[in-house]
Amino acid sequence: MPGSSKGANTGQADQEKVLRSRQDREAIARLADDLLPALIAKLAASGLGEIEVREGDWKARLRKPATADAGRRSATRLAEAHAGHGHSAARAAGYGRAEERDVRSRPEDETVEESDRIVARSPAVGIYHPRDLAVGMRVRSGDRIGSVDVLGVQQDVVSPIDGVIGSSLAEAGEAVEYGQELVRIELPERPAGETVAVVREPAILAGKA
Amino acid sequence: MFTKILIANRGEIALRILRACRTLGVGAVVAYSEADRESLAAQLADEAICIGPADARRSYLSASAIVSAAVVTGCDAIHPGYGFLSEDEGFADVVRAHGLTFVGPPAEVLERFASKEATRRLLAAQGLPTIPGSGMLRDEAHALEEAERIGYPVLIKPSAGGGGKGMRLVRTPLELESSFKVSRSEAMAGFGDDSLYLEKFLDDSRHVEVQVAVDSFGNAIHMGERDCSVQRRHQKLLEETPSPSLTDAARQDICERAVKAVAAAGYENLGTLEFLVDGKGDAYFIEINCRVQVEHPITELCTGIDMVALQIKIAAGEPLGMTQADVISRGHAIEFRILAEDPAKDFRPQAGQVGAYLAPGGPGVRMDSHLYPGYDIPTYYDSLLGKLCVWAPDRDQAIARGDAALRELLVDGVITNIELHRAILANQVFIDGKVTTGLLDRVGSAPFVAAGNR
Repeated sequence: MPGSSKGANTGQADQEKVLRSRQDREAIARLADDLLPALIAKLAASGLGEIEVREGDWKARLRKPATADAGRRSATRLAEAHAGHGHSAARAAGYGRAEERDVRSRPEDETVEESDRIVARSPAVGIYHPRDLAVGMRVRSGDRIGSVDVLGVQQDVVSPIDGVIGSSLAEAGEAVEYGQELVRIELPERPAGETVAVVREPAILAGKA
Repeated sequence: MFTKILIANRGEIALRILRACRTLGVGAVVAYSEADRESLAAQLADEAICIGPADARRSYLSASAIVSAAVVTGCDAIHPGYGFLSEDEGFADVVRAHGLTFVGPPAEVLERFASKEATRRLLAAQGLPTIPGSGMLRDEAHALEEAERIGYPVLIKPSAGGGGKGMRLVRTPLELESSFKVSRSEAMAGFGDDSLYLEKFLDDSRHVEVQVAVDSFGNAIHMGERDCSVQRRHQKLLEETPSPSLTDAARQDICERAVKAVAAAGYENLGTLEFLVDGKGDAYFIEINCRVQVEHPITELCTGIDMVALQIKIAAGEPLGMTQADVISRGHAIEFRILAEDPAKDFRPQAGQVGAYLAPGGPGVRMDSHLYPGYDIPTYYDSLLGKLCVWAPDRDQAIARGDAALRELLVDGVITNIELHRAILANQVFIDGKVTTGLLDRVGSAPFVAAGNR
């Protein structure tokens, strides 16, 4: 914020603040609506693993996913945090409101913070048994970090990327559904001060430069 | 009665089963694939659980995923709907092995009726007339031999199948040779079983089916018949009850013989016996469907019986609670299958997002559909968007109500066959009640639509 904002003319400062935040919002909206879909298409079509684009104060970096996870198609849908086993009354009441869902998944909305994460998901519907792994422990893409018991058959829960174990999102012995988020995986290195918005497949990193 | 039922299906039938559960005061869990997360049944259910990815083999066709879902959600029964695992005796067996009840015939009953060819022999022994056909085909040479004996044209049919998949009409040995392998691989892909048999093809026949219900005590009723002659490539498009092709005496005869035969053969739960009726009015038994049918609502409209609730009660070991004398069929009902298919483009399935959606209303109108405005139609499954059913005191009025309801029905954003249905209703052959199963394929749908637009 420029120094001139301090002092007598607070009205102008407020105005500037409003203007500034509107520019930010517009930039984010432009990123989400125009730039990202185009970049995703470009990345998918190319043989590249990562693309970075700068526009004004903003940059966006896209990475191809660490593991191929078929079934997860659009970034927008993924940004919608999956509530886990069963479903909430809010969702039950929400059918027919596609527009609302779209708006909610835009980066400027607060709920996006919920989806700013990479998670290991349940490979099947069954009972969850995590491995005893400490938070902060490093894992490689494909490492087994737990299992789901499907009628006595164990199916592996694996880390989708190289990273470190984050918080648990399900309890040991809990009934979990297919695709349910089980363990948060943090990225090992994140440049200081960068806010990271991650949407898987492809993983998208967008932050203020 | 059960405390909680897992609904292992999708689309309109998942919704239909959910409604039956609620009516009975039984809890329900909707099992859905990732592609059906936003489906109406999953959203309306008190409880829903994702069982796998969009690919049906890993969700709606995965016995372990479905049974596991039922176990972890505390269900004591599984309703399979129609299609998918609904007639799979192996699945019914797994369900039972985990201490749950399969809503349908018990595994050993499904097994007894699993082979169409064996079922024909079984029910022929109980007095049902059957079409000349072959035993299970060993190979192509055997097929050619049998076709020669039966006489062309013949239908190649998968023993395990249904819904016309893998079925081929062949009129010459050459056609048989070229179709045999395709049918075999389609049968394998569709039903996991590539056994085929041949059946004499009756030109210009009608498809009439008798609805029966048998409880675990052996009490049996029939609920009349349905005429499903309006078909396109062996797929039913429009069904009505009663059949305009049967006299009252013929109707009573076929229904009574059907229910007597299945009860004697040890059938249990809801079932449908399909017959072909030839130009002379003679009926031949072709197969039995051991599940609830897509077209069950028209029988419900005429008899007032909630057939899905009845199916659940029978599976729970309850008696029918009614005798044949209690089953009274009134009036006439027609079902229109509303499909996301473009009649102008060879009925290509359509995908897309539903824009505006308005279900018709008025006396005797029922819409069973999982559509809602904004619903994205997944591309992974069949193209059935819903079933518009109408009831009226007689056939003429039912046709009039059908047309009025079709005019009201609005499904924006995707091409449907609504106009084709209106055209069929306006067609003189249909009005006269003389449609045979091959008519639409022979004439093509374009003349119907063109005539209907005039």
